[in-house]
Amino acid sequence: MHPALSVIIFTTVSGMGYGLFIWLTANILLGTPLADDDVVIGSVMAFILVATGLVSSTVHLGHPERAWRAFSQWRTSWLSREGIMSIFCFGPMVFIAGQYYFDLGFENFVNLVAVLGLISSVLTIYTTSMIYASLKAIPAWHNNWVILGYQIYALSSGGVAYIVVAGWQHHMIVVYLLIAALIVKIATWINIDRHRGQYTRESALGLTDFGKATPFEPAHSQKNYLQREMGYELAPGRRAIMRWFALGCGFIIPALLLYIGLPAASLILLICFVGMMAERWLFFAEAEHVVRLYYDKDTV
Amino acid sequence: MTCLPEKTDKKLGLLIDLNICVGCHACAVNCKEWNTSGITGPMEDLKPYGDDPSGVWYNRIHSYEFKKPNEADRTVYFPKSCLHCEDAPCVTVCPTGASLKRSEDGIVLVNPDVCIGCKLCSWACPYGAREYDTSGGVMQKCTLCVDKIYDETIPEDRRVPSCVSTCPAGARHFGDFADPNSNVSKLAAENDARDLFPEMETKPINQYLPPKKREQHKSRSLEHKVSNVKDALLKWATLDFTG
Repeated sequence: MHPALSVIIFTTVSGMGYGLFIWLTANILLGTPLADDDVVIGSVMAFILVATGLVSSTVHLGHPERAWRAFSQWRTSWLSREGIMSIFCFGPMVFIAGQYYFDLGFENFVNLVAVLGLISSVLTIYTTSMIYASLKAIPAWHNNWVILGYQIYALSSGGVAYIVVAGWQHHMIVVYLLIAALIVKIATWINIDRHRGQYTRESALGLTDFGKATPFEPAHSQKNYLQREMGYELAPGRRAIMRWFALGCGFIIPALLLYIGLPAASLILLICFVGMMAERWLFFAEAEHVVRLYYDKDTV
Repeated sequence: MTCLPEKTDKKLGLLIDLNICVGCHACAVNCKEWNTSGITGPMEDLKPYGDDPSGVWYNRIHSYEFKKPNEADRTVYFPKSCLHCEDAPCVTVCPTGASLKRSEDGIVLVNPDVCIGCKLCSWACPYGAREYDTSGGVMQKCTLCVDKIYDETIPEDRRVPSCVSTCPAGARHFGDFADPNSNVSKLAAENDARDLFPEMETKPINQYLPPKKREQHKSRSLEHKVSNVKDALLKWATLDFTG
């Protein structure tokens, strides 16, 4: 799939935002002593990350002014469900930031709203992952690793953001999460590599009993929308480089720096963010759509 | 509404005979001709005479070479357009309701006034049936010429999709697959009709008839070949070419 920058930024940034908010609400519920200012900054930062992601996601729309229509088809569409959940999440974020900043006198409701915020953030990440995992035509996405991955990458990158906001009191948990995320990512790639080639051109054509099919004359002289959008071919050699870069910056280096306690949390967050962008770029660039069987791929 | 109808009254679709198709692209050209001024037109056509023309086509004609051991290679022309699937994944993923499957005849359409151009439907389709109109910012696809097949100002026998009426070889048939007595149902039943990509579980309406299996040529006996050669040599030796 063509790795569109707007969608890469959207999923990376909003995932980090929801992860951060999950960390924040979990700590409120666990009674971790938090400075009021840190809670406000954390909620606002989560809000800004999620909002940036949403705005970025509308960039690739043909009609951004009609985006509101996307809230209507929640009965069947994961994209619609995600839109509704993401807007819902702004409620707890605004409430918690407002309560801690203006001291509105709703202390009794903070825990209830924190529970709502935590659950809705997890659900939003789930709806995002299901947009991809529900697409049978893209085998690299149509599996449970994608669902697990989106949750854990949000929690690990959001955990690093939490350290920037609220300090180092739980940094070892973030280290463990980064290691778990690393394992999930490697398992995801093993799964992708193992299942490559399960669909054939002959099956796509419905002609499995006539021998091996190869394209003869191209159907059109120039690349069409399908090839531009879904025909992305990862250059040989670049896969390994990008995988190591994503693992290093996204998980290994942040985990090591947190473990040794480098007093520069913002730098660690930046490295983690760059790594997650690379991870998400690969998520698209490596995913082969079965429509390529009608064009350049013998198997997908 | 993006919920799929539980049952459609009709299942209108195409039956394409790969044994007959000659790969002339007339169906694709007439499709563009009709639909660029049809209900979902215009169909984008950027730099048509330039170095890098691009645009939307609802129908594309692929061709493939099939190789099988101990058989002569065969070329198959393969027209591909929307299959109007019963379980159309492009419809259920649509967040706005722009993608829909009609309960009366099963035709899958995009409402261009509601589409936000998120392109997710084109990702969900395993067949590449949808193409994005960059000028209009909406997704486009085959309408099965819905604005032609119900038009009562057209003589009844011509109320078929443009690709069908124009095919010079008679490789394309249009009809109702829900009716077992329709032309397409009968042809499909008699001729080993195929679904494209059955693993995708989309239940396509459109069906394809495979190329005919070749009859095995009886290999000529050695004796026959030897006598042929002997006759020819004798003709040269006697310079007798009258026989």
